[in-house]
Amino acid sequence: MAGKLLRVNLTTRSCGIETINEAWAADYIGGRGLASKYLSEEISPQVDPLSPDNKLIFATGPLTGTYGGANGRYMAVTKSPLTGTIASSNSGGYFPSELRYAGFDMIIFEGKAAEPVCLQIYNQQVEIVDAAHLWGKSTQETEDALRQEFHGDAKVACIGPAGENQVHFACIVNDKHRAAGRSGVGMVMGSKNLKAVAVRGTGGVRVANPEAYREASREAYSMLKQNPVTGEGLGALGTAVLVNVINQSGALPTRNFQSGTFAEAEEISGEKLAETYLKRNKSCMGCIIGCGRVTKLAGARFSGDGEGPEYETLWSFGATCGISDLAAVTKANYLCNEYGMDTITAGATVACAMELFEKGLVSEEEIGMPLNFGDSDAMVKLIEMTGKGEGFGKKIALGSYRLAESYGAPELSMTVKKQEFPAYDGRGIQGIGLNYATSNRGACHVRGYMVSPEILGLPEKLDPQATEGKATWTKIFQDFTAVVDSSGVCLFTTFAIGAPQFVNFCNAATGSTFSDEALLEVGDRIYNLERMFNLKAGIDPSQDTLPKRLLSEPLPDGPMAGQVSKVPEMLPVYYQERGWSAEGIPTDEKLASLGL
Amino acid sequence: MVKVQFYSLIRLLLKTESLLVPWAPDDRVHHILHKAQKAVSTPFLHKLLDEQGALHPGTIILINRHNILHLDKLQSVVRDDDLVALFPPGAGG
Repeated sequence: MAGKLLRVNLTTRSCGIETINEAWAADYIGGRGLASKYLSEEISPQVDPLSPDNKLIFATGPLTGTYGGANGRYMAVTKSPLTGTIASSNSGGYFPSELRYAGFDMIIFEGKAAEPVCLQIYNQQVEIVDAAHLWGKSTQETEDALRQEFHGDAKVACIGPAGENQVHFACIVNDKHRAAGRSGVGMVMGSKNLKAVAVRGTGGVRVANPEAYREASREAYSMLKQNPVTGEGLGALGTAVLVNVINQSGALPTRNFQSGTFAEAEEISGEKLAETYLKRNKSCMGCIIGCGRVTKLAGARFSGDGEGPEYETLWSFGATCGISDLAAVTKANYLCNEYGMDTITAGATVACAMELFEKGLVSEEEIGMPLNFGDSDAMVKLIEMTGKGEGFGKKIALGSYRLAESYGAPELSMTVKKQEFPAYDGRGIQGIGLNYATSNRGACHVRGYMVSPEILGLPEKLDPQATEGKATWTKIFQDFTAVVDSSGVCLFTTFAIGAPQFVNFCNAATGSTFSDEALLEVGDRIYNLERMFNLKAGIDPSQDTLPKRLLSEPLPDGPMAGQVSKVPEMLPVYYQERGWSAEGIPTDEKLASLGL
Repeated sequence: MVKVQFYSLIRLLLKTESLLVPWAPDDRVHHILHKAQKAVSTPFLHKLLDEQGALHPGTIILINRHNILHLDKLQSVVRDDDLVALFPPGAGG
């Protein structure tokens, strides 16, 4: 079932269609895994992420665009300008499926266009067209324009002004409100002068064994509908339901991780959002979960409409900035979608700037306004300035590590490998801390979502403060997530379905004969491939750690008061679980066993 | 008295954030749950418990912010003035 990839050379403005390497597809499935393999083979890990020699890959999985529950995802894979690591950033919506309906599983962008361009795809007809008139437009304006100019039913993935202005955490937005958000993939797209990809596909997706696929889909669909999380909870309250859960558990990072509880969490909660600005829920292509939030602001201070905020965004512009103004948080979310910025890093960097300001390390004069924790007007203003590339917004655009380092205080950046933490404190949840330290794209919750067993009790409840067994659990979660990310299926399905269902899905779609163990070995292979890329890029194992604050400043309050992260205790066990040396290097035996 | 806090789907169902239920010596969590359901007159325990009365996978019940799964589960002791928070199974990312 070899699919097709579209190779686009932006320097020469030429396109070619290739058959995907079948052996690699068998070893890496698709999506994150297969794109990481192509990237590793085609670029030097030492490449400057913003040079024409870096490549940007859009990759669907073999299940993208099929029915079965929530199968509409793709990955943007490149070398990250934020972290210097390999980056793979995931998004849903309708664009990924449309790409497959046009007949492509993957697009590889290489080189750099001399002027802004846009790629237009109508089935197998592909054209690179000028996009100077789109430069400067928001993501929504860009999509509307391309639907007028190219095709009324086109699905669009594009950058906003943030990607053009080289914000280090610029994202790629598709379907106006969905984002390949993390690690600065939009900055790479902007560096190539690639404004947008518009695609219209009228074909379908073939699977290797349709009858087996129907059966696998029936089983998965039934499990997703019957599960209280995927069948009801995520649709009703979305991810925002976590604000109160995590705050009550003492792990909601507050005021740049100076605390683990936010007294005003209720004001930025999913329950509050449902009472105020939520209009309805929304699904990605073919999804029966429907976790998306369609919202509208109609206040005197802030107005607009859009999608979100999600849990991470409620935290990043809320608790970690000490802000309980839900309208301001929602507005900042809209701005990030319009300008094309990752809400996690955007909010976390503002929080870092607030601490720098309160500690007297940056002046009101330089910022252009006071910037205390809790100042919602200043936060919204600063987000807009960042997207536009104005004033102190240019400093925020660097991300928190480079910002804090420039004021001589890198320890105030709450990052791993220069990428900002998401909304869980690794002092209150030990396994998620280990996952942050060892994530191949820097701090990230969706590389190994240990919050699920440690807080949510899914698939079983673990003590969040225990360290024993966490290395094993973290590795399993990371490997399984790599498989899910490579399949084209939404990670949220894993609250209801597990490895046996993914085995059925993947085997039916691709004609493979994976067992549960073999599928997890694919995840292990992907993880080690990414690790090797990072090591060759100069990201050494000394960076498998957390900021000093999390290792030595105990949480001051809440049920986790007194706790620090025990990553140094868990890390050697994790290396052993991975089959890596005590120094964190994959051994020759390990690599050979994975065919690397 | 024991303060019972409702979250997520239970709050949407009851349209109530919290209520106070009377405390009695030897009260366990399951006693408090049934007192709360009786007080609101709207069945909600099915969001937390299965037909056998066991916790659904993913249900979170906290006593003073500590998960009862790490205490004595539904037999966990509740004291006067305690805070009991109820979360039906939920998740996000």
